Amino acid sequence: MNAHFGQRLKDEIAQAWTVAIKDVRVYYLRPGMIMFGFLMPFFMFFSFSVRRELGAAEGLARLLALTVFFTAGAAGPFIIPTERRIGTYDRLLAAPMSLLTLLLGKTAVGAFFAIMVSLVALLAGLLAFGTAIAQPGLLVAGILLGALSFSTLGLVFGSIPTTNPGDVQMPSTLLRWGLLFISGVFIPLSEMTPVARTIAYLSPLTYAQDVMNHAVLGRGLINPWLDLGVLLISGILFLWPSVRLHQRARVLGR
Amino acid sequence: MNNAIEVHDLTKVYGSLLAVDHINFEVRPGEIFGFLGPNGAGKTTTQRMLTTLLTPSEGSIHIFGRDLRTEAWVVKPQIGLVPEESNVYTELTAWDNLMFTASLYRVPRHQRAGRAKELLETFGLWEKRDVKAENFSKGMRRRLSIAMAIIHKPTLLFLDEPTPGLDAQSARAIRAMIRQLNAQGATVFLTTHQIEEANQLCNRVAIINHGQIATIDTPERLRRAFQRVQSVEVALEPDGQAHGEALAALPDVTNSAKMGDKWRLYTEEPAALLPHIMNYATSHKLRVISLNTLAPSLEDVFLEITGGTVGAVISESQEDKPRRRGMGGRQ
Repeated sequence: MNAHFGQRLKDEIAQAWTVAIKDVRVYYLRPGMIMFGFLMPFFMFFSFSVRRELGAAEGLARLLALTVFFTAGAAGPFIIPTERRIGTYDRLLAAPMSLLTLLLGKTAVGAFFAIMVSLVALLAGLLAFGTAIAQPGLLVAGILLGALSFSTLGLVFGSIPTTNPGDVQMPSTLLRWGLLFISGVFIPLSEMTPVARTIAYLSPLTYAQDVMNHAVLGRGLINPWLDLGVLLISGILFLWPSVRLHQRARVLGR
Repeated sequence: MNNAIEVHDLTKVYGSLLAVDHINFEVRPGEIFGFLGPNGAGKTTTQRMLTTLLTPSEGSIHIFGRDLRTEAWVVKPQIGLVPEESNVYTELTAWDNLMFTASLYRVPRHQRAGRAKELLETFGLWEKRDVKAENFSKGMRRRLSIAMAIIHKPTLLFLDEPTPGLDAQSARAIRAMIRQLNAQGATVFLTTHQIEEANQLCNRVAIINHGQIATIDTPERLRRAFQRVQSVEVALEPDGQAHGEALAALPDVTNSAKMGDKWRLYTEEPAALLPHIMNYATSHKLRVISLNTLAPSLEDVFLEITGGTVGAVISESQEDKPRRRGMGGRQ
């Protein structure tokens, strides 16, 4: 029994990896991914940070939070509806792997993408501005768990039964912009009113920004362990609506 | 021995639309089972339920004795699926498409390359193995799609409309491949609306219409059961093509269709019709170039069952005669 379970687990991990690697090869250079995953965080950063007397370290912490947030969430809403449209998603759904395995493979695609783009942002900060990182270990953990959390958030939108990426990219972008402005990215938590701060605590991006502040600046408002815990738990919880939406799609035949 | 597929009271409802209506059938191991029906009859819906892509509203499906609802994990590795659209990754080469699928189906690592090479050679794609599928013709993509579906040597292969839109050579190659897979032991569930394809390939066919199974039998027995759609095909000279309406008005003719330079006259009594045709030719000073009696084709049976019209051209004089149900005509 244990040997069987072990073999199945090994197979499922390998299948999730296979799906992720295939998606990396097929989709990373698609215009939709570059636009929403690569250009968007930098565009948002420069739009709201230039001429605002932002220090290099503060700027880097903000850029890292933005890249993890936008890039990780770009994959799901683009890839899954595209695959549904061209019929390749059926191949994955019919394959001998669990739905959770498929979703974890898709999560990894967004997470890898976010980690890569974050590294670009990090290198730019380190090389161009000589920014020092206060807690490198925390930075790595923050990027990894932030990428996981926001990739599964993107997956929720990707799981909506549609064959048109535009149908989900718009609501996904709207939600992410909403989260952006309530989450202490552009207005620090310490400067928010109590009501605004309470709302900010509902957004996982608040914790991603706070953990980046801890990691880069060496200071934040929330306990960094709580930041990491919220990112991990939200990443796991976001899988649930994705599973439900996939089950719904199987009933609806989409 | 368990049946390859056993379906009981399988039903699918989309809102107020009853797409599949309590159907029952079984597919025996090792047979090629044709699933025929007009567009919108419920063929693809049924196949999607059989391959776990769609959740049934009611009923049960057993694949090799396993309940698909509870044991899909055990069943899925035994299934190969070729959907109607060739769902290959166009950004990947033929080789990478096969390697991806082999990995997805956990084909042992040391067997993957050999299996991919064997399939690419079988399907005539070996020379193109490093070409991205976006540069492939429709027929090549179709062949690659089938190769991807069988790389793990499934014991049950589902094919949804495998040949429409392909050139004759590709279609023939795919049919030969289906026969070969079947000869190697695979059970094949073939969804098609190409009657001749089913006739050539299938051991048994089910005809589905309006979500219900109308009949299941061997193509030959179905034809024999529908003797009423026998026909006589006649070619007359000179100017034989101008006599369609008159020929259709002959006694015992139930319908007529123009088939190239010939007329096909449908009848329940071919022997009784022949003298009428000869008399008509003599009285109009026409020469009979050819005269053949034809058993009903599977297409005739299909049209009869699904309510299509046998015969494309119906003479006005036949308005009062009993007509078959439905619209449209033979293509």
